[in-house]
Amino acid sequence: MSATAQSVDSPAAVGARGLSRLRHLDLIGLVITVATLALAVVWAFPLYWGLVTTFKPEYEIVRPGVQLWPEHFTFENYIHVLLRTKIGLWYLNSLITSGAVTVIVVVMAAAAGYAISQLEFHGRRFFWWMILASFMVPIPSLTVNHFILMSQFHWINSLPGVIAPQLIAPVTVIIYKQFFDSVPRDFREAAVIDGASELQLLFRIYLPMNWGITTAVAIITFIGAWNLFLWPFVAVNTEDKMNITVGITQVHDAFGVSYGRDLATAMLAALPVAIVYLIFQRRVTQAIMLSAGIKG
Amino acid sequence: MSAPPKNGNGAEPHVELKRVTKRYGAVTAISDLSLAVDKGSFTALLGPSGCGKSTLLRMIAGLEVITAGQCFIDSIDVTDVPPAQRRIAMVFQSYALYPHMTVRQNIAFSLSVAGAPRKTQEDRTREVARILQLEPYLDRRPAELSGGQRQRVAIGRALVRKPEVFLFDEPLSNLDAKLRVQMRLELAKLHADLVTTMIYVTHDQTEAMTLADKIVVLDKGTISQVGSPLELYNRPANKFVAAFIGSPSMNFFGVDVAPADDGVANVVLPGGRTARARLRGKSAIAAPVELGVRPEHLALVDPNDPASAFRGAIRIVERLGNATLLYVDTPAGQLIVQGEGNLEAKPGQGVGLTLSESDVHLFGASGASL
Repeated sequence: MSATAQSVDSPAAVGARGLSRLRHLDLIGLVITVATLALAVVWAFPLYWGLVTTFKPEYEIVRPGVQLWPEHFTFENYIHVLLRTKIGLWYLNSLITSGAVTVIVVVMAAAAGYAISQLEFHGRRFFWWMILASFMVPIPSLTVNHFILMSQFHWINSLPGVIAPQLIAPVTVIIYKQFFDSVPRDFREAAVIDGASELQLLFRIYLPMNWGITTAVAIITFIGAWNLFLWPFVAVNTEDKMNITVGITQVHDAFGVSYGRDLATAMLAALPVAIVYLIFQRRVTQAIMLSAGIKG
Repeated sequence: MSAPPKNGNGAEPHVELKRVTKRYGAVTAISDLSLAVDKGSFTALLGPSGCGKSTLLRMIAGLEVITAGQCFIDSIDVTDVPPAQRRIAMVFQSYALYPHMTVRQNIAFSLSVAGAPRKTQEDRTREVARILQLEPYLDRRPAELSGGQRQRVAIGRALVRKPEVFLFDEPLSNLDAKLRVQMRLELAKLHADLVTTMIYVTHDQTEAMTLADKIVVLDKGTISQVGSPLELYNRPANKFVAAFIGSPSMNFFGVDVAPADDGVANVVLPGGRTARARLRGKSAIAAPVELGVRPEHLALVDPNDPASAFRGAIRIVERLGNATLLYVDTPAGQLIVQGEGNLEAKPGQGVGLTLSESDVHLFGASGASL
């Protein structure tokens, strides 16, 4: 419809057309909502299926056909995993290795990012290109190299051996570097005039100003380390040094694999990560809102 | 360490730059510049964007490496001394308040990094907050403060260090016009109370004129003139200073100058009338010569008045309340005339203009005052 035609319409006609446009929009919105909902169900179904399976007795699980709810509800799988496996130790190992990886990666990446972003030194550009280049190397392709290196350190089948190769985190350095680049120079100069050292600048100005980034980086690193399977599986060969992800492979009996128990272990393994994410998700949002609110 | 020279009045300058140069690659920002700032003075570095005034301040602060030359503070060569050890404090244009700290933590930051006892930090912070009337806001974060309050916190952060020299880098530029006037007064009061050496960078001549007792006008990395506000206003050393100082700006037009005697030159104005102008400088007169006259030194008269220097027609009338600005088309081009607030004038009106001969300035081909 042309602008001229619109200009001669009565207000009532304009109102009616506006309403019909609204209905049209509503219809598109409805279709999108239904499609999103359908996709969400498709995404969530395996999770639901896995969770429900843990509450079924094994004979129900192996029975043909789709059974959306257990006929005989049981905690037997969880009881077995919690009481007859070394899951407590696996949890502890996961917690120690993931926690150590998170702390070391965050501190190291923040320091490296700060140095490359803020300090003047010979080879700065070279280091930056090295970090960018290492970003291109897929870490699993280094598994054999890492194994040889760790065995030379006599770190195979030990927690340091699980931790060390996970400390290569070029992406984290890149994130910090880019973020520190965006901090206005006046903050640095004001602190330099106030007598702050480089360490004080990093830990009292740059990091606290970017808690949102640190929180996000820490969560991502922690979840990545907690969920990692390949390297801990290669690096460890006794049950008492295993992470929870590797521990799942040990949950079997004389009759072979038990799906219910395996899935119960997987659910227990995923639980802390889900809790950590749920707790810190709010902090991430808060931190981003805070840093956005500061400007102005 | 070499001994710094004494200034004109025999006292040693508090801050002194000696033949300093600053180059960024092939670009020279500051060229062979020397400057002495007296103890307790308020010195403004004034100039247009890109003239090197902020670079000069940052060199004094130690934030820029001096390519050549020396910087002295309190007779000590600080050219290679880190900023924190120069006993200076700086207030930035952006305030640079740490957003994650409260006002209290911001003010106490320098004491905290120096490892001062908590009691000292608290006492000094309270004292500064009292002086700057920031006590009610000590537990707020910068985001919760108004522009003026943030500015005061930035000053407080400088004040708490008890510096020998305060450096201000366009501190009022981010404030609205009303707040700027208010903060200007507060800065003047602060200087009167503390009597500390203050060096203030600005591109706003009103700020420089009202606050400073000495203004350094910079042009393309060199000093154009140093003097008191009235010296710069009444006796500009060159056309650049004459044009930069004063609002509205000075009128300029080309003139012919007859041989001078007794320090007075006979000037032939565009349109054929003549005037006499006092010669201030010692430069030899060489054509082309320009005459400069401030808008308030031109006055409206009857077009047929024999004393008028020009005849012309009013093009635009601007009423400011306390003054009236007239844009008058004359044989010398369009001239700005400043009259009283209730001056009777309307566009298109034919007028004559007289100029106050004792207040005209002559500038030679190089721009230097004659």
